[in-house]
Amino acid sequence: MKKAAIGFYVGVTLALMAWGFYQAIYVAPNDAMQGEIFRIIYYHVPSWAVAFIFLAVSLAGSIGFLAFRRNFPNRAQVADAWAVAGAEVGVVFLTVGLTTGPLWGRRAWGIWWTWDARLTTSLVLWLIYVSYLLLRRFAAGPQMQTLAAVLGIFGALDVPIVYMSNRWWRTQHPAPVFGGSSGSGMDKTMVGALMWNMLAWLCWGLLILALRYRVERKSQLIEAEEAQQALEA
Amino acid sequence: MDQAAILDHQFLIAAYAVTWTIQLGYLAFLGMKWRAQKREQARVRQNPRQRAN
Repeated sequence: MKKAAIGFYVGVTLALMAWGFYQAIYVAPNDAMQGEIFRIIYYHVPSWAVAFIFLAVSLAGSIGFLAFRRNFPNRAQVADAWAVAGAEVGVVFLTVGLTTGPLWGRRAWGIWWTWDARLTTSLVLWLIYVSYLLLRRFAAGPQMQTLAAVLGIFGALDVPIVYMSNRWWRTQHPAPVFGGSSGSGMDKTMVGALMWNMLAWLCWGLLILALRYRVERKSQLIEAEEAQQALEA
Repeated sequence: MDQAAILDHQFLIAAYAVTWTIQLGYLAFLGMKWRAQKREQARVRQNPRQRAN
């Protein structure tokens, strides 16, 4: 039953990915100013949106770990597994955003990169979460999870700054398309294509998030089993 | 098709290809990790004192 449900979910996700691709390439029109290169938006924007959602998962996991670590060790381990899964999958989506962005920028602006507020805060966000993952990989000892949780919470503070950066400061990056000033927005067909891709990438992201969580939990359980065996020996 | 349109098309394909490469690469990495864990778990249960790094 569980295998069938997972298979169904994977099938729906793959169908959504194919439908999103079809919408992005064949249904949505070219942008009047930018032409075909504008279609990068259908992969670029969903990547950032999904990354922010998973970094929120990581934040919740980090807070949960700190809250539960003294009195509820099992719950703390579950929270920690969500924290690392959210951060790692978030970094994957941030990496997609940070590579598709310069490809778009090179054609739209004539430059690969500029140190404006949006791009700089985005790069800082990526560096913070890469350092979070490196800390988890290379630090040893019982304090590693606590240190990682604290770093995860501070790292998450950069997310609203990234989101608001093109509202707070003048940037090379365009002003907000949704919820921006009057006159902002997109053609209905473009909005449809963007939303389908948003949904598709969210489903895909949830799939790999769940897989990453299972890997982390299994790793924790193997370590606990080994520790138990060492005590009994 | 003019030169600018050809370049736009190539950059678009590059962006989509990079996206899929990163996502599928990560999925493959997770798959390998999953398999390695299964082997590790079997080893721990068979021989508790020996751990492979």
